[in-house]
Amino acid sequence: MMLFLQTTINGLALGGIYALAAVGFSLVFGVLGIVNLTHGIFVIAGAYGALILFTQFGIDPLIAIVPVAAVMFVVGYLYQRTIIHWAISRASLVASLVVTFGVAMMARNALQLAFGPDIHTITPSYSFSSLTLGDLRIDVVRVVGLAASLFLLIALAVILNKTHFGRAIRATAQQPLAASLCGLNVRNLHGLTFASGAAMAAASGAIIGIVQPFAAASEVAWTLNAFIVVVLGGIGSPAGALVGGLLLGLINAYTAQFIGPALTQAAMFLVLVLMLLVRPNGLLGNAFGETR
Amino acid sequence: MSQIILSGRGVSKSFRGLKAIQDVDFDIPEGSIFGLIGPNGAGKSTLFNLITGYYPLTAGEIRFKDQDLSPLPTYRRNQAGIARAFQISKPFPALTVRENIRVGAMFGDASRAASEDTVEQALATVGLQDLADRTAEGLTVGALRKLEVARAFATRPTLLLADEPCAGLNPVETREMVECLRKVREHGVTVWLVEHDMKAVTSICDRIIVIDAGKKIAEGSPQEIVADPKVIAAYLGEPLEEAGH
Amino acid sequence: MSSRTTAIAITVLLVLVAALLPLWMGPFFTRVIQLFFFSAALAVAWNILGGFSGYWSFGHAAFIGMGAFSAAHLVAQLGPFGSGPWSMVVPVLAAGLICGVFAAIIAYPILRLRGIYFAIAMLGVSQVVGELVNNVRWFQGGTGVFLQSPVPAGMRPEVFYYYIFGALLLLGFLISVAVRNARFGYALFAIREDEDTAMMLGVATERYKIMAFVLSATLVGMLGAVYGYSVGYLTTYTVFRLDFSLNMIVFCLIGGIGTLYGPIIGTAIMLFITQVLLSRFLDMHLLITGAIVVTIILLMPGGVIGAFNSLRRKSSDQANTTRAEAAR
Repeated sequence: MMLFLQTTINGLALGGIYALAAVGFSLVFGVLGIVNLTHGIFVIAGAYGALILFTQFGIDPLIAIVPVAAVMFVVGYLYQRTIIHWAISRASLVASLVVTFGVAMMARNALQLAFGPDIHTITPSYSFSSLTLGDLRIDVVRVVGLAASLFLLIALAVILNKTHFGRAIRATAQQPLAASLCGLNVRNLHGLTFASGAAMAAASGAIIGIVQPFAAASEVAWTLNAFIVVVLGGIGSPAGALVGGLLLGLINAYTAQFIGPALTQAAMFLVLVLMLLVRPNGLLGNAFGETR
Repeated sequence: MSQIILSGRGVSKSFRGLKAIQDVDFDIPEGSIFGLIGPNGAGKSTLFNLITGYYPLTAGEIRFKDQDLSPLPTYRRNQAGIARAFQISKPFPALTVRENIRVGAMFGDASRAASEDTVEQALATVGLQDLADRTAEGLTVGALRKLEVARAFATRPTLLLADEPCAGLNPVETREMVECLRKVREHGVTVWLVEHDMKAVTSICDRIIVIDAGKKIAEGSPQEIVADPKVIAAYLGEPLEEAGH
Repeated sequence: MSSRTTAIAITVLLVLVAALLPLWMGPFFTRVIQLFFFSAALAVAWNILGGFSGYWSFGHAAFIGMGAFSAAHLVAQLGPFGSGPWSMVVPVLAAGLICGVFAAIIAYPILRLRGIYFAIAMLGVSQVVGELVNNVRWFQGGTGVFLQSPVPAGMRPEVFYYYIFGALLLLGFLISVAVRNARFGYALFAIREDEDTAMMLGVATERYKIMAFVLSATLVGMLGAVYGYSVGYLTTYTVFRLDFSLNMIVFCLIGGIGTLYGPIIGTAIMLFITQVLLSRFLDMHLLITGAIVVTIILLMPGGVIGAFNSLRRKSSDQANTTRAEAAR
């Protein structure tokens, strides 16, 4: 029983991070209709960014979230307004999938050239301490990671639901044409949505850096994780990402604990396929209606 | 009276409680051109979708040549002899007109050698020979509709469900389409036609079924239908309802 | 001469030239062309599913890996199956069979997904299979497995594999020609263009999709097994490679997806650029491939064949208008 509880806690902590890593992917999928296979790169780039700031300047990864996310915000905006936009307007949505796949390969290659193929971790002073509650034990980094993830997710939810910007984004997702007729600059909004997604991914990357080892090659896993989270929870909302993320975290933790660590990916994927077949819109549905 | 090729008893369909089709009965005699009319949203396309198996029935039974259709998936129903021409033309845009028709000819029946004749026959029946090697992408609406009929005809059906083949056509094209459906019938195919153009329907159909709000409200010869007060009410009621939206 | 006989004549001529080339070609070019044969055969196999039926798989590398590891384990458990070139026959065929059976098993659920969902589900399949091979000790993906070299004594390996991959490319190409011209091919086209309409026209869509998937997986599995032999020592990362999956799509896209020659032309162009022109930058291989992919999709969405066709259409339109004007 204790083991089960401990595993559950670990799973939930991991799930919070999955949720944060996926929310940008979910937003971009919901608003722009694009499956962005570069998403994992944003996550890993965030982790490398935090790594550099930590090793070179001794900046704590949690503080590094701010500059790393800011940089990726700009990169994401430019990327959407140029390459992604061109791919969609000149070719097709499926072609944009290939384009993002191609860019992911390039970026992965570039990261490998810059940092080598080795696995890295970020180790701030608190990385080895843990909290205990009776027999339960939880690493401080996980608590910190979960808290930071929840904070950012809530912030995003508030922005989407309460601000003019958020309403504009939701309007654009439902009816791009109508939104532009109402005077919204849809292109710019798409760019900003994409940029926010990239920033969230980078922020999650900085947190992942302290919780888990990472390498350039792990980008695919993070893209797939984001996709699974979206399929589990539903498209386009922070709440959906949170539900999906926590579920994925639990699946991962239970499989690793009770079946075998080699099978976590297989279990996650099995759930993905089952979910796609049984409930293609995810547990919370598509936040933007059945537009796509 | 000739044999009944398609019959429905108590055919019903609801979508999450919304009753799209309620308790509709029909008997389509072999070799006839039958009409199905009704105001917008009456459930005509839904009824066709039930017959082709796109949706499962909620209740009732549809029999084709005395065989219950419910266990058959869509493609089997086609192979059994039910073809459908869509309201919104759905050609395969990258293929030529002939290739489009060939797809129908190949899977409706056995070998490919035999099907080349079918393709030519279908082309001739609708009068698309001149456009045979063009890709479907650039065709006019009139030609697309003919292609739609030709492709369905090429599956060698015994029953063709034609969903508003004249919608959006000009008077000349409409007359051509009516002619084209007559030729299809001459090849021994029973035609069941959904149509808005009353002139086209009354000129071509032997008998007509009228549905409104998912229910059958009348059935009879064109003359009877045109004079039926229930039908007139259903159609005259429509513009008033629309004004209320 | 009809275009059909011309096509056959050109193909036969190319095969003859290809058969004689290694006699006076140096090792470098033999190796490049061997790689071309292998990659083109993969692209042709991918195209049967992705190009003809429109189900783009982003995870076909799974079958390369599965094919290679199947062959290696088969030889280790039950082999050797003779020596020299003939020792390859049973393991390679078995590898194809295993991949085909695996594809048939996952086909029913996974082919119900359409568009991007199918694409990503396949990416997931490749990731999971790779992970399992790597982490489940029995598969030895982490430590690696050996395959006995089948190269006959006195023959240079690159020449040997040149012929093997060349033959497999020819086989794949002929199969895809046969598929294209048969009912099967028309069924796949109809599915690609509009699956619901296809069903309405009597096409048993489910069955044809599964057939295409299984056929494509079988071919890739056989290619993977031979690739395994050519490498000799395999770990997970030598065969379960994402860039394999990407390349298959990209080669088809560049040449013209869904066409017969497109995958081959696309592979030729890409390999010429990456292996010959830019051979000094092999560690930047992915970077260059990615850049070319992005550029080509943005500039020529229909691939080389598409661009060529639209050029031809334009010039014939032009000719028509000139003629019309002259007639006036």
